[in-house]
Amino acid sequence: MKYLTFSVTAVLAAIFSNAASADGETIAVFTKNLTNPYFQAVRVGTETGAKTLGVKVIQYVPTKPDSIPEQLSQVEDVIVKKPDAIVFVPVDYKALVPAVEKINAAGIPVTNIIDRSAGGKFVAFVGADDYSIGLATARTLLKAIGSKGNVIIIEGVKGSLTNTDRVRGFNDALKETPNVKLLASQPANYQRLQALQVVENLMQSFPSIDGVLAANDPMAVGAIEALEGANRKALVVGINGSREAVELIKSGKLLASGDFNGFIQGCIGMQIAVRNLRKQPTPPEVILKAIVIDKSNLTAYETPVEQRTCPTLEQIVAN
Amino acid sequence: MSAHKLTPASMSLARVPGVAIVLAILCATFGVMSPGFVTPANISNILSQSTILLLLALPMTLIIMTEGLDLSMGAVLTLASIALAITVVATGSATLGFLAALTVGFCFGLGNGVLIAALDIPPFITTLGTLGIAQGLSLLATDGQSVVGLPRSIEVIYSGSAAGIPLPVVIAALAYALTYALLYHTRFGTYVFALGGNREALKLAGISVRGMLIRVYVFGGLMAGFAALLMTARLNSAHPTAGIGMEFDAIAAIAVGGTSFERGNGWLFGTLLGVIAVGVLRNGLNLLAVPSSAQVTCIGAIVIIALFIDGLRGDR
Amino acid sequence: MSSTPNIAARSRFAPSRDAMQALYRLLAVALLCIALTALSDVFFTTNNILNVLRQTALLFLMASGLTLVILTAGLDLSVGANIALSACLAASVIKATGSPLLGIATGIGCGAAIGFANGILVTALRIPSFIATYGMMWMLTGITYYYMAGDTIHGFPPEFRQLGSGYLLGVPMPVYVMVLFLLIGWFFAQRTIWGQQIYAIGANPVAARLSGVPVERRLVLVYAVSGAMAGLASLIILARINSAQGDIGEELTLPAIAAVLVGGTSLFGGSGSVAGTLIGALFLTLVLNGMNLLQIHSSWQPLVTGVIILLAVWIDNRTRRSDA
Repeated sequence: MKYLTFSVTAVLAAIFSNAASADGETIAVFTKNLTNPYFQAVRVGTETGAKTLGVKVIQYVPTKPDSIPEQLSQVEDVIVKKPDAIVFVPVDYKALVPAVEKINAAGIPVTNIIDRSAGGKFVAFVGADDYSIGLATARTLLKAIGSKGNVIIIEGVKGSLTNTDRVRGFNDALKETPNVKLLASQPANYQRLQALQVVENLMQSFPSIDGVLAANDPMAVGAIEALEGANRKALVVGINGSREAVELIKSGKLLASGDFNGFIQGCIGMQIAVRNLRKQPTPPEVILKAIVIDKSNLTAYETPVEQRTCPTLEQIVAN
Repeated sequence: MSAHKLTPASMSLARVPGVAIVLAILCATFGVMSPGFVTPANISNILSQSTILLLLALPMTLIIMTEGLDLSMGAVLTLASIALAITVVATGSATLGFLAALTVGFCFGLGNGVLIAALDIPPFITTLGTLGIAQGLSLLATDGQSVVGLPRSIEVIYSGSAAGIPLPVVIAALAYALTYALLYHTRFGTYVFALGGNREALKLAGISVRGMLIRVYVFGGLMAGFAALLMTARLNSAHPTAGIGMEFDAIAAIAVGGTSFERGNGWLFGTLLGVIAVGVLRNGLNLLAVPSSAQVTCIGAIVIIALFIDGLRGDR
Repeated sequence: MSSTPNIAARSRFAPSRDAMQALYRLLAVALLCIALTALSDVFFTTNNILNVLRQTALLFLMASGLTLVILTAGLDLSVGANIALSACLAASVIKATGSPLLGIATGIGCGAAIGFANGILVTALRIPSFIATYGMMWMLTGITYYYMAGDTIHGFPPEFRQLGSGYLLGVPMPVYVMVLFLLIGWFFAQRTIWGQQIYAIGANPVAARLSGVPVERRLVLVYAVSGAMAGLASLIILARINSAQGDIGEELTLPAIAAVLVGGTSLFGGSGSVAGTLIGALFLTLVLNGMNLLQIHSSWQPLVTGVIILLAVWIDNRTRRSDA
């Protein structure tokens, strides 16, 4: 028994040995999950930004993907530790308002990135315009199919801010092209296997599908696999601009992907958080321009996120 | 199967080690390694965070003692929370909202109990089915959106305090006392022990096994309704995914706490320790900024280690 | 439980009753098919039927190994997490070596090793299967998250993709894999001593031990097989979606358990069959397919699935009672 106790303590100690030692400013970063490559890009963005500024970053991610109670607990725990600043992606933009209010009450400056929180006080908000990205990405597809034919929409997680706005953008683009018929709009919860099966089933009902509008890249990939499996041809677009999507655009399987650039949102969020700490001026809001990645502008995106450099705040705001 | 006739006291002695050792190691490790861990603010933080799980784990302990299981609890909590929020937003009355949450809990508890006791459907499948129903209703009622716009009077239930003790901790302590009294000091409690280990004797004594089982599940549903009150107050909103999977956390905490799955021997204090151990683990790992992927592995390891220690004790 | 402790009695007695049960379930599947044919004009087409079978194959492969575990009155909650880790490791091996065979060996080997570890936890450490595999689920998930670091591995050689998206004589490959393992599973469970011993352990472990069944070794075998099947399923998923991500196994465990239970295998052990699980998997897949074809919003899916699980098991109980 003694040996067991000892070894457990040893294992725990080994795990904790890489834990925090505070020198310089410490910034806590909250993201939604460990599974979606998108949030990995956000985390890499915050760390790349932090490295150039010489601050220490600690990442907090719910162990259960997108768990609201767990992110709230993590916020409560982090308040005990009192980091100098927080960069915050709420798991749900409404349900995490109490968490933001707790951070405010503790007097820790917090910068909101990606999903705009419905309440609380922030140093700034950094985000992409999901609606415009959805609109621009859908326009790319509709133009490519000659503004006529049949399309389907594969939606993400019901009720999530990104999904609501992206799908609204898709639908508004469809309104501009009256000759395109929307056959179905089904959710696949941002998951590729679900998207694969949803598209397989929809292909049974609809003998002719010309385009697929997927609200993120993994679902677009699922749709591509479903189409290939049935030997059917349709153009597919996704959103995120993930590494996988870039490779698929290069090989011609994916038409385009809306650039919902997690890396830049992460590093700009970090820059604003640190500037604010150092009493430098910061803008209250930074909204990235909607860019659609396709064959024409692919090269810039082929660098893996780990090797990209952070654009400065001035470069982004100037755009 | 022979019934293990043990008094609560002798059972406690036999069971303390697994969960107590784990809890002691965790507290010692975190206490030494993280300066913020042993502070009044953090301790009240851990206890408050553990309350919702405890409200589920208490009735779940009784259910497991009857050789049953309730997988629908997290989903019922979620649906009750949504019912509460929608009612409060519509009527402005916290009382009506609370009644709505309890009604949802009661109905699902009753439904589970009737399906299990009267229709003889195994608890695992019954509650897997009602889990789907509760989850589906939550999605349909909210369209996947959060329900917001609650008055501050709701939020205070979680953030307020009485005599320096956070209100959720007071509520959880009352719930613990109530469950303790039910289990160890009423006839109902005696029957719960018998339902697990000695069902035949209960039948011979002319007690309605079905009636007792239904009551156990109704108790579970009602407690999920109470937990929904705390969850809604905590988030100041209701969300259709808020409680998903919490039943598994509760079951794990109970197992860590030493309640046996096979013989119907439950130990309520162990459940309390188990819930706190899970809370301490998560809190401590966050304070030490351990990466989430390592946290996930730690949680699994702790569950297995606690049961392994119990197994060692059982062998000797 | 009033199950028969005698192995010899079981082997003569159980299959015929199970066969009747299977017949009722086939009837339910047939009724569902008739209803869907009436409601949707595309349901009863070759394409859609092959589509349903391909989706069934995946669910069946996950659930078939699990059936054996449940037959011993155990449970394996780590199936989904096992699939995630096996898929990610197999994907790395395929990417690194370019060899589908090495990848397949990795996937199945990793799955089997995890299953073996579950078996050890359940037998040598005497941890209840529910908790042991729940703890295992968390550990595997952590390892997968750590290993993948939020990344995706995608793009496998076409030979490997055949396993998931290929066709042979117009029938999708996974369907062949499903039929193969249905036959193996049926033969193993019904026609071998080991299979009969598994039924005996589930029916009454004490009696099984007394009549000379090596209970521990059979249990380890059963968990290892369940793990290996999860590994196999992970390969089919990989080959179908052409990529691996840390959350690949999320939300796969409960449907697999549901397929086993709807298929008539009892959680108390000792009664049920792999063939029943196929019917269960088919039934659940048909429900989802029907809802997609009829354009019913997916918010309804958990509700409808829940009601169907309850109905199926309730009807099952009634018919079982009228048989006895």
